Amino acid sequence: MTKRTICTIFTILLIFAALPLFGAAQKESVKDKVKLEFFQNKEEAVGTFNELIAKFEAEYPNIDIEQNNVPEFATVLMTRLATNDIPAIIAMGATSDWAELAKAGYLHDFTGDPCIDKVHEGYFDQLKRQTGLNGLYGLPFAVNANTVLYNKAKFRELGLSVPKTWDEFIATAETCKAAGQTPFYLTLKDAWTGMVAFNALAANLQGDDFIDKRRTNDTTFQTRYVDVAEKMLTILKYGQDDNFGFGYDDGNTAFAKGESVMYIQGVWAIGSIQSANPDIEIGTFAMPVLNDPNKNRLVSGVDTLFALAKNTEYTKEALLFINFLLEPENAQYYIDQQKQFSAVKGAIQKDPVMEGIQVNFKKGLITGFPDHFYPAGMQVPNLVQEFLINGNVGEFLKIMDDEWDKVQQRQE
Amino acid sequence: MAKSKVNSTYLLMTIPAVLLFFIFHTYPVLNGIFYSFTNWRGFGDWDFVGIRNYINVFKDTRALDAYFFTIKFAVFSTIIVNILSLTIAMGLNAAIKFKNFFRALYFFPNILSIVIIGFIFNYIFGKIIPPVAQGLGIEFLSRNILGNPDLAWFGVVIAAVWQASAFNTILYLAGLQTIPEELYEASLIDGAGKWKNFRNITFPLIAPFFTINMVVAMKGFLQAFGIIIALTNGGPGRATESISLIIYRGGLQGGEFAYQSANSVIFLIFLVTVSVLQIRFLQKREVQL
Amino acid sequence: MIGRKKTNWVITFLIGAGSLFILFPLYVLITTALKTPLELAESRLAFPVGLHFENFITAIKMTNFFNALKNSLIISVSAVSITILTNSMVAYAIARNIHRKFFKGLYFYFVSAMFIPFPIIMLPIVKQTHAMGMDNPAGIIFIYIVYGLAFNIFVYVGYIKSIPRDMEEAAIMDGASIWVLFWKVIFPLLAPMNATLVILSSLWIWNDFMLPLILLTKRTMLTLPLVQFVFRSQFTTEYNLAFASYLMALAPMIIVFIIAQRWVISGVMRGGIKQ
Repeated sequence: MTKRTICTIFTILLIFAALPLFGAAQKESVKDKVKLEFFQNKEEAVGTFNELIAKFEAEYPNIDIEQNNVPEFATVLMTRLATNDIPAIIAMGATSDWAELAKAGYLHDFTGDPCIDKVHEGYFDQLKRQTGLNGLYGLPFAVNANTVLYNKAKFRELGLSVPKTWDEFIATAETCKAAGQTPFYLTLKDAWTGMVAFNALAANLQGDDFIDKRRTNDTTFQTRYVDVAEKMLTILKYGQDDNFGFGYDDGNTAFAKGESVMYIQGVWAIGSIQSANPDIEIGTFAMPVLNDPNKNRLVSGVDTLFALAKNTEYTKEALLFINFLLEPENAQYYIDQQKQFSAVKGAIQKDPVMEGIQVNFKKGLITGFPDHFYPAGMQVPNLVQEFLINGNVGEFLKIMDDEWDKVQQRQE
Repeated sequence: MAKSKVNSTYLLMTIPAVLLFFIFHTYPVLNGIFYSFTNWRGFGDWDFVGIRNYINVFKDTRALDAYFFTIKFAVFSTIIVNILSLTIAMGLNAAIKFKNFFRALYFFPNILSIVIIGFIFNYIFGKIIPPVAQGLGIEFLSRNILGNPDLAWFGVVIAAVWQASAFNTILYLAGLQTIPEELYEASLIDGAGKWKNFRNITFPLIAPFFTINMVVAMKGFLQAFGIIIALTNGGPGRATESISLIIYRGGLQGGEFAYQSANSVIFLIFLVTVSVLQIRFLQKREVQL
Repeated sequence: MIGRKKTNWVITFLIGAGSLFILFPLYVLITTALKTPLELAESRLAFPVGLHFENFITAIKMTNFFNALKNSLIISVSAVSITILTNSMVAYAIARNIHRKFFKGLYFYFVSAMFIPFPIIMLPIVKQTHAMGMDNPAGIIFIYIVYGLAFNIFVYVGYIKSIPRDMEEAAIMDGASIWVLFWKVIFPLLAPMNATLVILSSLWIWNDFMLPLILLTKRTMLTLPLVQFVFRSQFTTEYNLAFASYLMALAPMIIVFIIAQRWVISGVMRGGIKQ
């Protein structure tokens, strides 16, 4: 063991130890400019937000907004929280992750801020229900909708009109089938797509106090969801031959190519369908779950909300940015680009494709996504998928209750 | 014989690595195990809950089902991939034309990203096999097997083996290099056939690589996650839910971090046990030259 | 010396037939990258009508390709090269002392880490690296080197065990220190294993998605696997652009493989070892 060897080894160790220093983050000390991170979860919205940010920065040159969009939003958010690296401004969906953030006390409470007047209050209720708290920890910006899409040309061909009740809905499907056409292209290989119909049914059939009562164990899935489950099975009868063999992408393409008359999906699929077939005439309507047309509600959830970190240095500037985004013209720009509906007063979605569901927004026949209120660890989509395969209603509802109880108990 | 002193160079070669490994790997593991005794969500406040998480895992039929599936899937895949890889490696090692081209080609599946593999196999199982099967009158293949709760797992096995085989093939190829030509020549002179060659020369001499491949393959398949997400996302229903899938989905997207950590710890113990048993069993068969 | 071996045509044919299972997906990959979404909707199998090379240009722009490529290269090359140099050394020390309890223990200590599922260490390692200022490329390189120890030691030790000791004994008798012995004698003999592990490590690190995702916090540090996600919005995947991007990202790996695989079969092995 020569001295030389010792020195070499020591040097190697030193290099190892010093490596981190080479990459030590250089804190930017840009004077006079306020830098805010805008952590945004939708990849497809990056371009739109960039435009809005540019507009904002032109108006407020001393504020620098840096949009950050990464894959696996939920995972990254979680790891950042673990290191207390909370982004200043967050744009995300009204998911259980967001609710957890609010409950853990990381978010700013918007109650009393002037900007909340710019938003339809109808959505506040949904959000408060989700967190279970009194404060408002997110500002709704854009909302989506679970719809039934239909091929207008085929409807004309078959002499169909938009069904307004459940019975009419099934009759429409029957007509398609009798004419040798597939009523719905079901994409149940992707479990989450089954939730579109499931949510529409559950929202209208479960009773508005279901979640509250279920949380206190005053009711069960087995009591309230029988109709939901049975109606799901009915829909199955009107799918194509291999309901479970095809997924979301296949479905979009198939519907675009005219392989089915209707397609149970949300508005988010429209863009994808149109790129597969720009000539298709798409119409939309809310799934008529009940036989009273005045009671059928469209499932619409907050697709994007803005949240603010509670302990950020630059609350004032951040609020300026959020305020800016909530201006009707900016919100309008966003929904025109992203093909969604706005929660902001004065921003109306005018795309003719979505005419069929605008009436729901106008009349306020809207309700939230039931599954957003289930405990997060429940992993429901696969349970629904399993049920649809074996068709056993009683067993399915019991599993739903058991899983709810299990997860709830684990999280106490 | 007196115990000789360890040459200090050896110690110097290893100790730094051990220290660094402890700091950057073992310590986080201990940390993670610690959290499994709490109800930490990954952020915010937490409390100690003792072994409640562990008890819950054993009560969780979904997790137990996942263990069954994962074991079934891993055993099948490990066996198939090893047979396949060894065969391919021997083929690539033989006197074939375009050797380098084929070697590069067979390596290819392993560099493809999961998204591509998912895309391709979904397409094959959904749009290529059913029409062909219908034409040939094979009933059970006429629909996408990935949509069939009883057959989906086999589809995943095929895709997983396809992707993983390159890795094992490379290892076997390296192993085959260690066998001297002379042994085959001598055996040729003795008039031995191909199968005898394999049984008496090839297989025993690549024993260490067989062990490595079996262990690595088993471990890899037991932890299968990406390929399942890409093909079935655990479906149809819960038919192909693997342990890793449950842990990721529940832990990272479901906010049940501590509970799934407990699940991970149990899984870890399970993995280690399986692998240690495997190693001990297989190493007894190894030949030291 | 035996002359050139006769080509075994049977096996060549079988290997060729088997390669169809790989050529087909390759075909789908390349043709998809050259299509428009409309063509893709038409048929996933058909040959593209026009060769839309602009997909590649779009993909480059959307992913900030060359920056990500640079990041991936820096991380992979550094990590792999240092890994090979260091991990082999540790493995050698263990392999030659495996009969001693201490080193045997070390072996199992390192190897057992292969079985630790990532979720357990995920959050703790994020906290740790952040606290130590290692959430940057240098830090991640370091982590790769350390984490590689588990598998690499497993493989190296298996291989080193089959290297006879006579050469080492001869060298020691000539007065060489272990250090010199390792670098001058053993390391060259490890060429096939070094090459194999270069390939396997490169594969892992180049395609690794999780560690960069959670450790690299700045957008400018993104590696190739991460930027691929720019094509996957919440509900759609632009397959044609995504595949164009993947093809470009694959290229370096293929080069590594082609170069390295020659060493896996290096002739040094045959003569030198089994005398």
